[in-house]
Amino acid sequence: MAIRKVIIGNHAVSWGVQLARAEVIAAYPITPQTQVVEALSEMCASGDLDARFIKVESEHSAMAACIGASATGARAFTATSSQGLALMHELLHWASGGRHPIVMADINRALGPGWNIWTDQTDSLAQRDTGWVQLYCETNQEVLDTTIMAFKLAERVNLPVMLVLDAFYLSHTAEPVEIPDIAEIDAFLPKRDAKLKLDTSDPHSFGALVKPDAYMEMRLALQQAMREARVVFDEIEEEWEQQFGRRYGAVEADYTEDAEIVIVAAGTMVSTARHVVEQRRAAGERIGLVKVKMFRPFPTETLRAALRGVAKVAVLDRNLSPGHGGIFAEEIRSGLYEVPPDDRPKVFGYVLGLGGRDIRPETIGSIIDRTRAAAAPEREDLWVGVEA
Amino acid sequence: MSEIGPRDLSVSSTTTEMNRTGSWKYIRPVYHDRVAPCNERCPVGIDIEGYMNLLREDRIDEAVDLLLRENPMPAVTGRVCDHPCEQACNRCGLDGAVAIHAVERMLGDRALERPYPAAPLRQREQVGVVGSGPAGLACAYHLARLGYPVTVFEAAREPGGMLRLGIPEYRLPRAVLDLQLDRIRELGVNFVCGVRLGGDLQWNVLSWFDAVFMAPGAHLPRPLGVPGEGHARVRQGLDFLADVNGGQRPDVGGRVLVIGGGNTAMDCARTARRLGGAVSVMYRRTRAEMPAIAEEIQDAEAEGVSLEFLAAPVAFHPLDAGVLDAEFERMVLGEPDASGRRSPVPTGERFRTRADLVLLATGENASIESLPLNVDIERGAIRVDELGTTTVRAFFAGGDAAGHERTVAHALGAGKRAALGIDRYLRQARGERELRDPVQTRVASGNLSMTRWRGDDPVRRVDPVEEVVGPADVNLTHFAPAARHADHKPNGETATTFVEVNLGLSAADALAEAHRCFNCGVCNECELCLIYCADVAIRRTEGGARFEIDLDYCKGCGVCAEECPRGAISMTREGL
Repeated sequence: MAIRKVIIGNHAVSWGVQLARAEVIAAYPITPQTQVVEALSEMCASGDLDARFIKVESEHSAMAACIGASATGARAFTATSSQGLALMHELLHWASGGRHPIVMADINRALGPGWNIWTDQTDSLAQRDTGWVQLYCETNQEVLDTTIMAFKLAERVNLPVMLVLDAFYLSHTAEPVEIPDIAEIDAFLPKRDAKLKLDTSDPHSFGALVKPDAYMEMRLALQQAMREARVVFDEIEEEWEQQFGRRYGAVEADYTEDAEIVIVAAGTMVSTARHVVEQRRAAGERIGLVKVKMFRPFPTETLRAALRGVAKVAVLDRNLSPGHGGIFAEEIRSGLYEVPPDDRPKVFGYVLGLGGRDIRPETIGSIIDRTRAAAAPEREDLWVGVEA
Repeated sequence: MSEIGPRDLSVSSTTTEMNRTGSWKYIRPVYHDRVAPCNERCPVGIDIEGYMNLLREDRIDEAVDLLLRENPMPAVTGRVCDHPCEQACNRCGLDGAVAIHAVERMLGDRALERPYPAAPLRQREQVGVVGSGPAGLACAYHLARLGYPVTVFEAAREPGGMLRLGIPEYRLPRAVLDLQLDRIRELGVNFVCGVRLGGDLQWNVLSWFDAVFMAPGAHLPRPLGVPGEGHARVRQGLDFLADVNGGQRPDVGGRVLVIGGGNTAMDCARTARRLGGAVSVMYRRTRAEMPAIAEEIQDAEAEGVSLEFLAAPVAFHPLDAGVLDAEFERMVLGEPDASGRRSPVPTGERFRTRADLVLLATGENASIESLPLNVDIERGAIRVDELGTTTVRAFFAGGDAAGHERTVAHALGAGKRAALGIDRYLRQARGERELRDPVQTRVASGNLSMTRWRGDDPVRRVDPVEEVVGPADVNLTHFAPAARHADHKPNGETATTFVEVNLGLSAADALAEAHRCFNCGVCNECELCLIYCADVAIRRTEGGARFEIDLDYCKGCGVCAEECPRGAISMTREGL
């Protein structure tokens, strides 16, 4: 029987991992992630989760342990944030290149200095090119559902999956969450069946030297796996919806059909934007909303379909690629470039909410007003709510 | 959906077994069982680690047998030994020593529940033992187990020596001591009591024996040399203890002063306290220098005994009605003396205190008054080598009369060494050749091993080396903290009876303590090496016991030796 519990976002991850019957969990604590693995360690200790919990001395080791476990065919999980994710960087490539279906929760947190534990998407977006699937979440229910679906997706396409949630706004905020019965999850997500795995009775080398004559083919296989991930994700969501009645979409588009201006966002600021869009719609303004859940593989076609013909798109970036601007805006501009000029929206980029700075309804309201007033985007993305 | 293939993630098409990573190494690991520090430190020479390892598998009877190979009376030592083993325990570096003393007591009590392993008579030579204290008993016991007919002579009416005369019942119940003696008697040891060397037992009678072990003990009063010590109310502490231990209940009057800081002083104080005295222990140094067992000092204080430090007696002045005025000089601590303890230095300041009874517990001299002149004496004790050999052929000696470390454990160790010496002497006299030297059975730098002398160790050890596992050799990260079981459980009664004070550990708690043991230096097949070996080069042997290393694939990284929790793997260049 499914139960309903009021739980924080971090524990929604823990519940998801338990229901997914992860077999190896290796992690190093870091705020605001620690509660995820703290709850999992308790589940392991109590026997509620039959997994090996490995305490390690760093995030680099955590990912290494997950890779080792995954290589033997085990279902492996870890969680981290910010500096911890940055420390893993080398092994993130190894996880994807080795085609290890590891699932990791990254609790978005700003990178220091200045030392900052609050939310900011730069940590996960900085790992854009490591070959991990990235799925952003808006609510605790979505966190739990995505955690379980992430394992299925990872194991279907042999790619690691990072699920991403905002520090504190989600990680430490309690919401009612429906927790499915584990028997239902067992039906949805059977035990992992690894085709290629380490076997001491038939030893082979894994990840050894690959010469120029074969390396490109390996990378192409990785790229193809990413393409497949885009398709398989929709299939998995379809299956999830049939079994549990919920789906989120790689991209969610609301009121975009007739919209003059569409807000594009990811993470918890989507909820704030929803509220503002509803108010504006009630006042008769034609404002729409696009939520980007999947960042890698980038759902280019889906976004083009949602935004084609819209006059202006305002992208909210709680992140920064210094020297360029907001990373979502950059990706969306690139994705829309092939839309014929008549249907191609003008993309207005806004950088805001860095390091956990609050994004209020009026913040988003001012962005809508500014976008409407401007004839064309500025040369650089605009910074919202900063002291001049 | 495309199926993932070896080319997608760089998996070798052939087996990697052809890559003999073992060719890379310049050092290799070897399993070497080493010596646990407790084993080395035990004055008796007990294989403590060995019986802990058996207890870990709940093999209690085998643990008892292993213990009895070196120690004839674990029920006694489990109660009165000062357990230096625990100070050496590597678990001190984590959460407190394993309660070895309490585990030994549990095993000792278990040993009393059934006859000792039979010791059939196999030798012709007769051995005489003078003195039935722990040294004499140990020598007789080990010789009986080696198959010799042994006769023990004891001056007192009952055997036991200092165990019976000196140690109070509340520490060592007579029922336990009697059972312990029964067990030794059942091995065929013949006891002749009430005969004193130089009296009923003449020296030339002993020469009828093929070998003699002399362990007369140390019972002679050592005069303080202060005026008034001949007064009737100034008594030798040991005489007082012998009276009470023999069943007498003398009137101690109101106020009792005990002079001394050792175990005899604590025994006197706590005994006098049980007889209704208000007891003060007067010691010329301070608490830190007291030779008494720490638990005994704590118990004495808990029972209401007061301790006065830096006070040395200078005179006892008789007053009316048998009361004394005891005069002391105040001391200060000076430089360390030969024992390493800071010595007392007189200040000239004196004080007096009234006493109804003064008990002297400042040490005794060896009972060597009846020995023939050709037995060499050195610093007041019989001169012996490590095997108890004296300057007289066929005469061996040990215990308090021949040693300066006067504990039950040292006496048991000395008696065992003499048994080794006598066995070798008799076998040589019989014409046996190529006997090895018993000192080669030494456990690292500790005592000699009867098991090694007999060559029938029931514990299989792998390429043992005489190296002690120190704190740096154990890997504490692999041990979860587990609190030590309080091994000192008071019986709950006040200090008015002679009922045993310490109830010891339950069998379950004692077994739990055995699980706290690191098994220092000895592989207990925890399998960590197997898990840590990155080349999967370690596997169980064909028989399933212990492990073997496949040198074709071991690349000599040393992780197994580094991670081994108990220092049972070392790295070597040998054989490469």
